[in-house]
Amino acid sequence: MPVARYIFLQLKEVPQARVLIRRLLHEITTGQHWDGGKPQSTLNIAFTHQGLRALELPDATLLSFPVEFQQGMKKRAAILGDTGLNSPEHWDEVWQAESVHVWLGVHALSAEALETRCSAIAALLGETGGATIIGAQDAASAIVNGKQTTGEHFGYTDGFGNPDYLGFARSSQPGQGKLMPDGSWAQLATGELLLGYADEAGELPVAPVPHILAANGTFMVYRKLHQNLATFRAFLDENAALYGGGKEKLAAKFIGRWRDGTPLELSPDGPDQSIVKDPQRNTNFTYGADDDGTHCPIGAHIRRVHPRDAFGFNGRLIDRRRITRRGLPYGRFAAEDEQVSDTEDRGIIFMALNANISRQFEFVQQQWIDYGNDAHQGNDKDMLLGNHGGQGKYVIQGDRAAANPPFVCANLPNFVELRGGDYFFLPSITALGMIAMDLVDPR
Amino acid sequence: MPNQNGTVYGLTILSPIINDEKATPSHDLQIRKYLATLPTGENSPFAQTPGTHLARLVVMDDVIYVGMPACEEHLNSKYLIFESNLDGGPTGDLDSYLRGLAQSIPEHLDAIWSHCVGYPGAANAQAFVDYMKACQLETTFFFAAVNDKSVPETLRALQTQSAVTDFIATHQGMEPSRLQAEFVQFANELKATPVPPAGSMPDLVHRGFRSPSEEIKTGGHNE
Repeated sequence: MPVARYIFLQLKEVPQARVLIRRLLHEITTGQHWDGGKPQSTLNIAFTHQGLRALELPDATLLSFPVEFQQGMKKRAAILGDTGLNSPEHWDEVWQAESVHVWLGVHALSAEALETRCSAIAALLGETGGATIIGAQDAASAIVNGKQTTGEHFGYTDGFGNPDYLGFARSSQPGQGKLMPDGSWAQLATGELLLGYADEAGELPVAPVPHILAANGTFMVYRKLHQNLATFRAFLDENAALYGGGKEKLAAKFIGRWRDGTPLELSPDGPDQSIVKDPQRNTNFTYGADDDGTHCPIGAHIRRVHPRDAFGFNGRLIDRRRITRRGLPYGRFAAEDEQVSDTEDRGIIFMALNANISRQFEFVQQQWIDYGNDAHQGNDKDMLLGNHGGQGKYVIQGDRAAANPPFVCANLPNFVELRGGDYFFLPSITALGMIAMDLVDPR
Repeated sequence: MPNQNGTVYGLTILSPIINDEKATPSHDLQIRKYLATLPTGENSPFAQTPGTHLARLVVMDDVIYVGMPACEEHLNSKYLIFESNLDGGPTGDLDSYLRGLAQSIPEHLDAIWSHCVGYPGAANAQAFVDYMKACQLETTFFFAAVNDKSVPETLRALQTQSAVTDFIATHQGMEPSRLQAEFVQFANELKATPVPPAGSMPDLVHRGFRSPSEEIKTGGHNE
């Protein structure tokens, strides 16, 4: 869906808050098939630990949630490298007081449908007196020639490569699950995404009690990532002047895909829309034959955050570090030749779903984005997402052509800055009903 | 040789901790307290000990009974475990390393090991070496990710890598003859630069090597 609004609620008195959730219950969009085609809009709901406390869930339940969820993202700043420009003091007002209890995700097919749905929600809030809106974030897909795209502000095509899980109806595509010894791709264990199912270790993910509250639920990481577009464009131009492969190739080397989405690994010399459009190919590659990074640099973004077979052992070291990403850009899109400024409000709303925030999202953020050892990059951070503070560097391995030698990007600024967010619990419909009806009983 | 992998020596020492019910706090807690306050990185006592790649000190109270079907077992004593990956040279020269320890950080060694049974003190180097070797266990299997290089060689390599990267970043695209002249000068300067002290290279001071006072990384379950 092309447009979205993320609404942040602070719950009021418990009886009214429960009535509100009960009224929302039949409105929440489930994972069921849309037999009648896409609805005009969808609604999803998730809670912070404060939110669940405000709803007076039993202490024995509240204390059984994983520590990182109880703490919330702000208290995890040191672990996540959310320091300096990314530290909580720079976050948006709504995240300052730790008063966000509920995230409502409204997605719609059109701006009109979005407004209609949001008005209905606002009316319900007024009617029940269950919560106050303390913040809202609009986001929308880039529209090019009247068509919805998956582009983002730096000009890259986003949204490739979410994991496939066992038991999901969505058709799977090679390169998105886990790599098998014979080179094929299989679906990841359901418990890597949903609580109550076996994960890749054959264990049940750490989950709150009672089991029925947790089962079919998951955890969501919400991060508002501001993009310094002027800095990015200036940096790219400045370095492209020295880089042997030219500007577009340099941009591709940052991330591991040409800006149209073509994986460098499959097409190192230029973009190829036939690959991008082919689901059998656009995520179907490995790095085993590219140890020296001549196709895709060893520290490129997509090679860091989804290393496939890059760490050896047939890729098995990464099967418990996968996350499902959902998100949309926010802010006005600027044409390539348009004057831009870093202070303009634009970026991406990053939402990650995973069964275990500390093992999955936090590990990826700490070890693969904010550190480079696993990728043999020493202290180097992820080129685009790293919290460099002007100190970072990024090494691009040379191409096979002599005219395109290795290149070092130095004194990296922060291309992306964190503007807030938190950790949320996304309950199943059953669990949501139990919360609304005060039926959560950990005994 | 089970204690040796190339020129790197994997040392394992288990020293029984004094069991004195009259001591308050107990000797094991006194060791824990001292270890918890030891600095890491460049100021670690083991950074001042020649030839240490990585060292670890742990107090082991007892083996933990994890429930059926494990059988319940107990140790006869609490132990201080000392593990060190060190430069043993081709012959696995442990004595020199232990003498180096006794010479460079005797006050730390005494503060820690004085809580262990039979510790003679570091002042008498030969007695110290004999004591440590009496407490030694065969390591049997270990892995030191240092490519069979000594500590000074490793520090030199890291220094060179970092300096060359900086050189490339500031010189890429330069006209060839000037580039060559600058490179020759750079190489001469680098050669004349002393090897940085152990624990001082940024690669080693990263968050991955946290001091104990810093925040614990995870919730601790199911990693």
